[in-house]
Amino acid sequence: MGVVRRVLLDKRVLTGDSIIHRLDPRPKFFFFLWISVLAYVFYDYVLTALFLLVILALAAAAGILRRILLVLAVIVLPGFAFAIPILSVLFPWNETLMFKLHILGFELPLYYEGFTWGLSWPLKIAVCVSSALLFYLTTEPGELIALLFKLRLPYKFIYMVTITLQLIPLLLDEIQTIYQAQLSRGLRTKANPVKRIWNFLALVIPLTLSSLMKVQTRAIALESRGFSAPVRKTCLYDIRLRAGDHLFFSAMIAVTLLLAYLYLLYGFSPIVHLKFYYVAG
Amino acid sequence: MEAVVSFEEFSYSYPTREDVLVDIDFQVHRGEVLGVIGPNGAGKSTLCRCLNGLIPHFYGGRIRGKVIVAGLDTQEHSTAELSMKVGLLFQDPIEQLSGVALTVEEEVGFGLSMLGYPKEVIGERVAEAIERVGLKGLEGRSPYELSGGQQQRLALATVLAMRPEVIALDEPTALLDPIGKYEVFGVLRELASEGSTLMVVEHEIEELAYIADRILLLHGGRILSIDESKRVLSEVSRLKEIGVDPPSVTELTYLLEREVGVALGEYPTTLPEAVRLYGEVLRS
Repeated sequence: MGVVRRVLLDKRVLTGDSIIHRLDPRPKFFFFLWISVLAYVFYDYVLTALFLLVILALAAAAGILRRILLVLAVIVLPGFAFAIPILSVLFPWNETLMFKLHILGFELPLYYEGFTWGLSWPLKIAVCVSSALLFYLTTEPGELIALLFKLRLPYKFIYMVTITLQLIPLLLDEIQTIYQAQLSRGLRTKANPVKRIWNFLALVIPLTLSSLMKVQTRAIALESRGFSAPVRKTCLYDIRLRAGDHLFFSAMIAVTLLLAYLYLLYGFSPIVHLKFYYVAG
Repeated sequence: MEAVVSFEEFSYSYPTREDVLVDIDFQVHRGEVLGVIGPNGAGKSTLCRCLNGLIPHFYGGRIRGKVIVAGLDTQEHSTAELSMKVGLLFQDPIEQLSGVALTVEEEVGFGLSMLGYPKEVIGERVAEAIERVGLKGLEGRSPYELSGGQQQRLALATVLAMRPEVIALDEPTALLDPIGKYEVFGVLRELASEGSTLMVVEHEIEELAYIADRILLLHGGRILSIDESKRVLSEVSRLKEIGVDPPSVTELTYLLEREVGVALGEYPTTLPEAVRLYGEVLRS
């Protein structure tokens, strides 16, 4: 929770004036979708690593590299730790033997296909997560609302997205208050795991009830302010595409064309030329 | 005088609670400040919820009679439609924030944006409402960074920006510290002096005595009395009987008359009035 809170929720400290911050949210959002799709189109760990490097370079330019690396360390490193050893041995399409491990008198063959597969998947996840964070951490909430308006999404959906981001810190504060209240009423935190799960209910039940009551009050307050009025809502925020945004879009189009050429020429694994076929192949 | 709010033989039961309001029949006139007092559970908050159609559209329940607000029957018009006619202010300033506005300015404009007003109109009305509640200079501040009193004034600004014909305030100072209460009542006094139509549910009877033209006394969902505020607040024994504290100066005068035999001839309900009356007695 600590890392997530630091990276995702303490967002106000990330307001910056870098070239990435100044971009319109549309190219940044499109970049997130674009690079995530590319990461899944190509089964090439070198290319995926290159995508990740590009994102990290942009994150560095935006001054948020440390935060993104922190999240990747929590989400992606365990992926490598589990996927590489297991798939190197047990991947169904294993055929190219790299070397054999000798453990406790057993011989464990490690295969190239499983190894690269185990390397690729956490990298793909890293590309999606880091590009999403790049968008989220460099986009002001107002710009996000404007973007969702431009996408012509229903206002209830827009509200749902934005309220989630705004209210999570308040919810965490509420948890803290209930936790402290329960502690002062004798809740034991140093107990065996079964007891701890039982104790967890002492937090969850009051939190759920208080949240439901707050939701009802907020719903009433929103209704009283015309939330359900059947009219097109006015967006209070402006976003505008500038020269830098067009340049960013152009770069994405150029890279797409280059990658399409590579795909047609070499297939889904242009750099490492993997020898196995994906299940569909 | 023209009636802006009209309760006509109105009775209401929640789906889970019977007879919360019974035979309610009164009017609020344009430019009038009506104070609503009564012990806990008297039906004061329910009365407010009837004004903008939350009852019956949100809460359901059984209704007899009618509530007409600015010519609209609340049973036939949605809460969204009524939001232009009635502004409702709640106890907890935090819970009535939209949750999506990043600044004071955006929070005030939220309601108007929900009703699809053009940006220029929103800008004008927001500036005006912020000025009226004395939050000028804090437009760019996050609503969550304001003090309790400022947050409640912000909530009041969100209501004022909609330019409703009547504003109902449901214990707007209940959760505020003394400074916050002072700030909010300061704005209410100004609104009252400008001729706004207000219906104020409040336990702070001392303060209510300053702004209310009339007071409605509720008990057990029924109207016990509705009259000029001085008359209602002077019924000290009746108020005490149902657990409502009259203003201190009124109670003091009542006790002096009953226990010491010193009668002023009338009961003061505000401090300046008490100073005048006691001054006259002491001088004579």
